[in-house]
Amino acid sequence: MEFDVMIIGGGLAGLTAGLALQEKGKRTAIVSAGQNALHFSSGAFGLLDREDPFGAVAELDEDHPYARIGADSLRTFAEKAKGLFARAGIELNGNPLGNGFRLTPQGALKRAWLTLPEVDLFPDEAAVKGHKVLIVNLLGYLDFNTSFLALGLEKKGCTCRVETLRLPEMERLRQNPSEMRSVNIARVMDNAWVKVAGEVKSLLKDEDWVILPQVFGLRDATVPSQIRETVPARVLFVGTMPPSVPGMRTQMQLKRAYEALGGTFLMGDEVLSAETGEARVRSVETRNIGRIGAKDFILATGSYFSKGIASDMNHVYEPLFAADVIQDEGRGSWYDPNFFNPQSFLSYGVATTPGFKVLKEGVPFENLYAAGSVLGGCRSLALGCGAGVALVTALSVAETI
Amino acid sequence: MSNRKDNEFDVIIVGGGITGAGTARDCALRGLNVLLIERHDIATGATGRNHGLLHSGARYAVTDRESATECIEENMILRRIARHCVDETDGFFITLPEDDLAYQTKFVESCTAAGIRAEIIDPKEAIRLEPSVNPDLIGAVRVPDGSVDPFRLCAANMLDAKLHGAKILVYHEVIEFIKEGDTVRGVRVRDNRSREIKDFYAPVTVNAAGIWGHHVAALAGANIGMFPAKGALLIFAHRVNSIVINRCRKPANADILVPGDTVCVIGTTSTKVPFEECDNMYVTPDEVDLLLTEGAKLAPALATTRILRAYAGVRPLVSADNDPSGRNISRGIVCLDHETRDGIKGFVSITGGKLMTYRLMGEQAADLVCKKLNINKKCETAVLPLPGSEGGKTEEVSKKIWSVPSAPQKAAAGRAGTRAKVIPLDNPLDQALVCECEEVSSGEVRYALDHLEVDNLVDLRRRTRVGMGTCQGGLCACRAAGMIAEARGCAEKAEADLKGFLNERWKGMYPIAWGNTLREAEYTQWVYNYVLGLNEQ
Repeated sequence: MEFDVMIIGGGLAGLTAGLALQEKGKRTAIVSAGQNALHFSSGAFGLLDREDPFGAVAELDEDHPYARIGADSLRTFAEKAKGLFARAGIELNGNPLGNGFRLTPQGALKRAWLTLPEVDLFPDEAAVKGHKVLIVNLLGYLDFNTSFLALGLEKKGCTCRVETLRLPEMERLRQNPSEMRSVNIARVMDNAWVKVAGEVKSLLKDEDWVILPQVFGLRDATVPSQIRETVPARVLFVGTMPPSVPGMRTQMQLKRAYEALGGTFLMGDEVLSAETGEARVRSVETRNIGRIGAKDFILATGSYFSKGIASDMNHVYEPLFAADVIQDEGRGSWYDPNFFNPQSFLSYGVATTPGFKVLKEGVPFENLYAAGSVLGGCRSLALGCGAGVALVTALSVAETI
Repeated sequence: MSNRKDNEFDVIIVGGGITGAGTARDCALRGLNVLLIERHDIATGATGRNHGLLHSGARYAVTDRESATECIEENMILRRIARHCVDETDGFFITLPEDDLAYQTKFVESCTAAGIRAEIIDPKEAIRLEPSVNPDLIGAVRVPDGSVDPFRLCAANMLDAKLHGAKILVYHEVIEFIKEGDTVRGVRVRDNRSREIKDFYAPVTVNAAGIWGHHVAALAGANIGMFPAKGALLIFAHRVNSIVINRCRKPANADILVPGDTVCVIGTTSTKVPFEECDNMYVTPDEVDLLLTEGAKLAPALATTRILRAYAGVRPLVSADNDPSGRNISRGIVCLDHETRDGIKGFVSITGGKLMTYRLMGEQAADLVCKKLNINKKCETAVLPLPGSEGGKTEEVSKKIWSVPSAPQKAAAGRAGTRAKVIPLDNPLDQALVCECEEVSSGEVRYALDHLEVDNLVDLRRRTRVGMGTCQGGLCACRAAGMIAEARGCAEKAEADLKGFLNERWKGMYPIAWGNTLREAEYTQWVYNYVLGLNEQ
């Protein structure tokens, strides 16, 4: 098998690169081992947790992907990202050149850039003040913490009422002690949502907001907006414990759009090894297909969770190409003893040239690029730039290729 | 005694570890009106920070005959009275090529003399019985070691004390002794949650505060020369071995590997630490490296097995000589009558000893208390089973309660023994799992919140095992915190608890965070600090 571009990793970065390259007329393939960061998405994309994300680029470390791209190109890619999603059938909320806020499951406001269609993006903190809120949960569902959500909202001057729905459709799920999880519930809700909307409508008193868990629209992305049309109040869908239903659906939508453009998505396959020489990648070997050759390769394998980077007792390493990894010497410096402080290990990842060519022993591969959270130097949790880095670096690499 | 005030007792016990719990149970069974006070939660000190080894006594047979004899006697008693806390695994003492095989002969002789069954077995047979053992072994001795769940054991003793009328106050700390001349009349305590100050009176107060007993004794005006010896341990995510593995040599670092539930534990190190550090034990990278290197000599698979967490406890040893490591200090029981020793009346200290001998320590302390109170009642703790252990094999308990037990019902019976019958677990809502790793159901969590003096999530973990499994609370912590918020109607405290719990879990994870543990840590970081935004609260 031969492609123009072989993309390793089917998460946000890999799919974005694949879509952009297919649109340019390249023949590409994506190998996806399975789970990726979209599975624990917040339902919102972060570009940079600053009021003016573009103005703040100058303050970033020189290793940060945005510092390498520069504020001007960052603007261009930011706008392109929203357009690319729209062409894939996903209308993201938000202005790509600015930041807003999302409501977290703890009832906190966190800066967000673009949000998935059912996730509200607030222009400012004042937009969440002083509402009368009806929070509705499903009986026995422990992954949507209504008490914390209510606490957070009440701190913002809202008044909250919590109600629990008991639906006969969920009884079968309840019989199994571990079935009451977001995706299983969402499968039931694909059919039962009309009933939920009706019950919510009848529970509603004088509230102007209704909050439901993000367990709607797994199969059909229009379900959340249909619920909104039924209920005579503003309906917000707030995140649950993982897996993320909007995130999983988005991954499926992107995959379908990619395939519709002629891309080859190798689901459940895995790159086992790579053949390299003279600073070039010649081919990769996958578990199901065997050897796949390409002119260019993109490493979009994610970070620890997706196994794009791994670690042993003393080192963080990139398992496929043994690429250089930005890291601190000695395990003792990887962590902060306080869980809630920034953690150094979260910033480790692959070292590249300013154009995202992967380095090995200081020498770049001519045809291997890195995109997304496999990249080092991001501090993406602390900076709130995880999704932004995935989208922007994928678009940047696709443009270079 | 009917007109007694509600702040007057026969005996006050200071310390909610296993020694305090055992003493409280013993005194309550003898009919005394008991108050137990603990400044944190039950089992927060050395009780919850050890191997969970049901010692046969073999480890001490050569070096400390008295401790060895006490261990084997208590070992046999615990198998009867605490069967739902005990796993009868047996143990091996293996000789490796670098060890002196001649020590084995001396070891077996010493065991036999102490009344410990010790049987030399062929190394090949040892490998057949315990495939994880180092295949290079040149000798093996089989002894009646086992494993014991110290949280469960401590909780069962507390519960029995309560069922016999004892009052238990957790989060209450002694701030001074109420004395009249040279007589202790009671204690002044601070409720560490409300900051309220309360006085309690009793003719006898027992100091059972473990290493903190040094400080408690000082408050009463007595000095006990204690030796705080830190021991670090690692928990692995799998039950690598099914038989306890020890080294057949003089006790040293990291030479005991104990299986327990679905995990196994290697330990320990032994380092003298200053008293100031006893409240905040952490494990260093060097200790982790040492435990892993030495542990892999017992079972080579440990080198490649995921580690769940690292933790350390402080042994409450009583100084006897100038040994800097604390290894050669006797693990023997020290029961001090401060009246004869220091001229302080109404004050007793029970210290030294070990988890294995907690019951005997309780018996000795209760004997002394009864003597002081002129009460002539015999100790019954060696014969009466603990609540949960009455009759029947552990495996059959769930079938006696529910005709066709579900997985969560079986898991609950595994933890609570026959007491599982009082936990509401009949309907699907109660059986819904809060913690998948440890199969802890909503019913168990609700029961613990309502009946087992749970203040926060960490307390809940000690009673139910919520958050003790592979994901270390990654998912269940938030669920359980939500249940606490609903049960107590205080989301603010539950949210603060959730943060405290995650930090407590992280404390044990970061010393060993590489490989899959680091993956898990990244995931937990994103879920709590990004998706939920807990770091902003």
